[in-house]
Amino acid sequence: MGIDLLANLGFYVPELMVIMTMCFLLLIEAAYKHEEKARSMTFITSCIGLAITLITLLMSGYDKPMYLFYNAVVIDHFSTFMKVIMVIGTFAAIVLANQSEDIYTELKTEFYAIAFGVLLGGMLLASANNMLTVYLGVETLSILSYVLASFKRDEAKSTEAGMKYALYGGISAGIMLFGMSHIYGTLGTIQFSEISGQMAAITAGQKIVLMISFVFFFVGLGYKIACFPFHMWSPDVYQGSPIPVTSFFAIVPKMAGIACILRVTMVFFGQNDGLQATWIGLLHIIAAMTMTVGNVSAIGQDSVKRMLAFSSIGHAGFMLLGVTVAGDIGTSAVLFYGATYLFMTIVAFYVTAMISDHMGSDSQASFKGLIYKHPWMALAMAVVMFSLAGLPPFSGFIAKYNILSVTISKKYYGLAFIAGLNSVIGLYYYMRIVKLMIFDTAESEEKISGFGFLNQLIIAGFTVPVIFLGIFWEDLMSLSHGAKLFIK
Amino acid sequence: MQGLLNWILWLPIIGMVAVLIVPKEKANVIRWVSLVTTLVTFLLTLVLYKGFDLSLPGIQPNTAFSVPWIKDFHINYSLGIDGISLPMIILTGLLFFLCTMSSWTIEKSVKAYFALLLFLQSTVFGVFMSLDFFLFYVYWEVMLLPMFFLIGIWGGENREYAAIKFFLYTFFGSIFMLIGIIALFYVSGKGPASFNIMALAGGHFVNETITLFGHTLSFERVFFWFMFLGFAIKVPIFPFHTWLPHAHVQAPTAVSVILAGVLLKMGSYGFLRISFPIFPAATVYYSNWIAILGLISILYGAFCAMAQDDVKKLVAYSSVSHMGFVMMGMAAMTTMGMNGAVLQMFNHGTSTAMMFLMIGVLYERSHHRWIVKPDGTKGYGGLYTQLPRYTVIFIIAMFASLGLPGLSGFISEALIFLGVFGKYQSIAVVGVLGLLIGAAYLLWMFKRMFFGEPSEEVKEYEDMNAREVFYMLPLCVAVVVFGIYPTPILDIMRASVGSLVTLLGKFAV
Repeated sequence: MGIDLLANLGFYVPELMVIMTMCFLLLIEAAYKHEEKARSMTFITSCIGLAITLITLLMSGYDKPMYLFYNAVVIDHFSTFMKVIMVIGTFAAIVLANQSEDIYTELKTEFYAIAFGVLLGGMLLASANNMLTVYLGVETLSILSYVLASFKRDEAKSTEAGMKYALYGGISAGIMLFGMSHIYGTLGTIQFSEISGQMAAITAGQKIVLMISFVFFFVGLGYKIACFPFHMWSPDVYQGSPIPVTSFFAIVPKMAGIACILRVTMVFFGQNDGLQATWIGLLHIIAAMTMTVGNVSAIGQDSVKRMLAFSSIGHAGFMLLGVTVAGDIGTSAVLFYGATYLFMTIVAFYVTAMISDHMGSDSQASFKGLIYKHPWMALAMAVVMFSLAGLPPFSGFIAKYNILSVTISKKYYGLAFIAGLNSVIGLYYYMRIVKLMIFDTAESEEKISGFGFLNQLIIAGFTVPVIFLGIFWEDLMSLSHGAKLFIK
Repeated sequence: MQGLLNWILWLPIIGMVAVLIVPKEKANVIRWVSLVTTLVTFLLTLVLYKGFDLSLPGIQPNTAFSVPWIKDFHINYSLGIDGISLPMIILTGLLFFLCTMSSWTIEKSVKAYFALLLFLQSTVFGVFMSLDFFLFYVYWEVMLLPMFFLIGIWGGENREYAAIKFFLYTFFGSIFMLIGIIALFYVSGKGPASFNIMALAGGHFVNETITLFGHTLSFERVFFWFMFLGFAIKVPIFPFHTWLPHAHVQAPTAVSVILAGVLLKMGSYGFLRISFPIFPAATVYYSNWIAILGLISILYGAFCAMAQDDVKKLVAYSSVSHMGFVMMGMAAMTTMGMNGAVLQMFNHGTSTAMMFLMIGVLYERSHHRWIVKPDGTKGYGGLYTQLPRYTVIFIIAMFASLGLPGLSGFISEALIFLGVFGKYQSIAVVGVLGLLIGAAYLLWMFKRMFFGEPSEEVKEYEDMNAREVFYMLPLCVAVVVFGIYPTPILDIMRASVGSLVTLLGKFAV
C-alpha cells in the first residue's frame, strides 16, 4: 500500500512543485540579510516555480483519468485545463504584485507565498474526487485568501474586506460541512464515485434529504464563485483588497469553484434523472440571477475595480449557464469561457492598476482621456472591454457564443434570452469606460510613464490572445472539447 | 475572377494599414492614400459588374469563394454575390469614394479617421458578401466598432450619447439575431449546411416546432421575429427608429452619408437575404404586419420630418419614411414590388447621400443646421441668390428624394406602388399620402432655406468649390440617368428577385 501511494506522487508533480516553491520562498526570505535582494530572489523563484508547474501540467496528458490517494484526487484533462488557467492567473497576479505600489514592499514575499498556497487549494479543488478533499481545498483556498484581502493592513477598507471575507467564508464553510455530513449520513460514503453509483437507486425519503444537503453543499462552492445569492461579499472584498489580490481573486478561486461545481453536477446527477432535473432547475435560477444581479449592479459603480467585481459576478453566471448543460459540450464551453475570461480579466486589472497607481484612484473619472496619455494602454483596455461585452471579432464573443449555443442545444430558450439581454447590459457599462478613455479629454494631457516594462509586456501579451482567439478559435475549442470530464 | 471579392473585401484593410504606417504629420499623404484605395475599390466593384451573368438567379459561380474557417462547426469563410447584393456593393464602393473626398476638410486625428473609415468599408462589404451566417454576423457586429468611434470622436456636441445609443440599440437587435442563428444551427442538424445561408434558404423549417413555456409553436414564426428585430432596428422600421435621428444628427457628414446610404440598406438586405428565404412561410404569414409597419414608417417618418427645425434631422426622418417604402414593397411579394424595393434601396442610397453631402457642404460654411433657430429667427434664407451652384445641385438632390418623375426616386416608388396595389389596396392608397407629405416637407424646407432675403451671415458664404462639385457630380449623374433609364440596375436584380418571389409564392396561402 505504501508503495502505491509513492507511485501516486509521480502523477502529483505539479502540486508538489507548488508546495516546494512555497517552502523555498519562505526559506529564501529568511536566508538573505539584504532585503532588496531577497525580494528579487523570491520573485524570480516564484516565476520559475510557476513555469515548472506549468510545464509539468502541460506534460501530464494522460489518456485516462488517474485516481490518486485512495480515490481522493483525480487527475484528468478537465482538471489539468483548469489548473493551467489558475497557474497563469497566479503568474499574472504575482508579476502585478511585484510591480504595483498597492502591495507594500516589505510584504511582497509574503504575497507570493500566500498566493502559492491559494493556488494549491484551487488545484486541489479542481481535481477533488471526494467530499473531504473538496472541504480541504475550499478551506486552504479561503483561509489564505482572508489574509490576502486584508493585505493593506493599515487601511480600513482592506481590513474590512478581510473581515467580511472571513465571516462569510466561515459561515458558508460551516454550512457546507453540515451538508456534507448529511450526504455521508444518508449514503454512507464520501467518495464521489460511490455516491454517483448509489444515486440511481435512492428512495423518495432519501431524495428529499439529499436535495437539501446538496443545496447546503452548494453554499460553500457558490460562495467561492460569488454567485447569487452568496455574492454580497464580493464587491466589498474586491474593492477593499489591493488590485493584485483582486485580480487574483477574480481568477483562481472562481475557476476552482466552477471546476468543482461542474464536477459535482456531472458526477452526482448524471445517474438520477429526477434529481438532476431539480438540481439543474435550481442552477438555472441561480445562473440567471447571478448574471443579472452582477450586470445590473455594475452599471452604477464609480470605482472601476468594483465595476469589474460585479462584472466578474456576471461572468460567473455565464459559466454557470454552461454548467447547467451538464454534458461534454457544456464542459468545453465553460473551459473555453474560462480561458478567455482569464486573458481579458488580467488585462483589465493591469490597466486599472496602472491608472490607480498613477492617478491615485480607480474611479471612472481617472480613465478620462487615457488615449492621449497612453494610447496603447487605452487601446488594449478598449479591446478587452469590447471583448468582455462579447463583441466580435474578440474572443469574448466566441466564449459567449459557445455558452449560448450549448444553452440553446438543450432548448433553454428563455435562459438564452436572459443571457443575451445581459450581454446588452454588459455592453453599456463596458462601453462607458471606452467612452471615457477615448471620447473624453482629460484635464491634463501629460503622458503616463514609469509603468514597468514587464507589465506592459504582459498587457500586450495577454491582449493578443484576446484578439487572436476571437478569429482562430478552432484549436482552443478542440482542446477544451478534448478536456472531457471523466466519470466513472 | 475567383479572388475578386477577396480583393474588394480586403483592399480597404490594406489601405487602412498603409494609413496607419504613414506618420501622423503627413495628413495629405493619408488623405491621398485613402482616396486612391477607395477609388481602386470602387473600380473593382465595377469590374464585378462587368463579369456579372445577368441570367443567373442565384450566387454567381465565377466569383464565389469559400474556405473552411472553423471545421468542427462547419463555419466557412464564404463569399459570393447575386443580383441583390451587387447593386449594394457598387453603391458602397461609390459612396465611400465620395465620402473620402468630402472628408478632406477633417482636421481632427486625420489618421485615425481615415483608418476607421476604410475599416468600416471593409466590414460593410463583408456584410453584403457573406454567404456564411456566422461570418455575416461577425461582420454585422464588427461594423459597429468603427461606427461607434466615428460618431463618438468626430461627431457633434452630443456625440457620446448618440454613439452609445446607436451601439446599444443595434447590439440589442443583433443579440436576438444571434439566438436565431444558433437555433437554426441546431434545427438544421448541425451538418455542413447549418451556417450556409444559401443551403438554409428554401423553407426547410416549415414543419419544425419549438416548445416555449409549455406551448408548442411554429419554429419559423417564432424565429422570424428574432431575425426581424435584428434587421428592423437597422432599417429602421417604426417603432425601432429612435436611435436614428440622434446618430444622424451627431455624426460627421461622411458618416451620415454612409449610415443613410449603405448601413440602413443592410437591414433591408438582411430581410431579402436571410429572413425571407429562410423563413418563407412565416414571411408570407406575417407580410400584412410588415406592410403595415412599413406604412406607419412612411407616414410617421414624413410627419416627423415636417416638424424638424434641424435640416439634418429632417433628412434623417425622411430616411425613415423612404425605408418604409422599401419595407412596403418587400411585403407585397410581387415581382414588381420587390424589384421596386431593391431599386429603392439603391436610389435612396444615392439621393439621401446627396442630401447629406449637401447639408455637410452648407454646415462647413454656417456651422449650424437650423432652418429656424431655437430663438425663432431664420437660420438661412436667400441661399438661392448667394449660392447658385449649390442651389442647382440641391434642387436635383431634393427632387430625386421626393420622387419627381424623371429622377431616380420616382421609378422605384412607382414600381413599389404598382406592386403593392395589387395586394394591399388600402395600404397603397394611404401610402401615397407619404409621397405628398414628402413633397410638402422638402418644398417647405426649400422655401425657408433658399428663398427670401439673404441675411448678413448668408452673404458671406462662398459657393461650392471645385472639389465639392466634383464629388457631387457622380451622384447627380446617377439620379438623372437611373431616373430615365433604370434598366441596367433592374437587369442585375431581375433574376435574383424573381427567384425570391417564386420561392415566396410557393408558400402563399
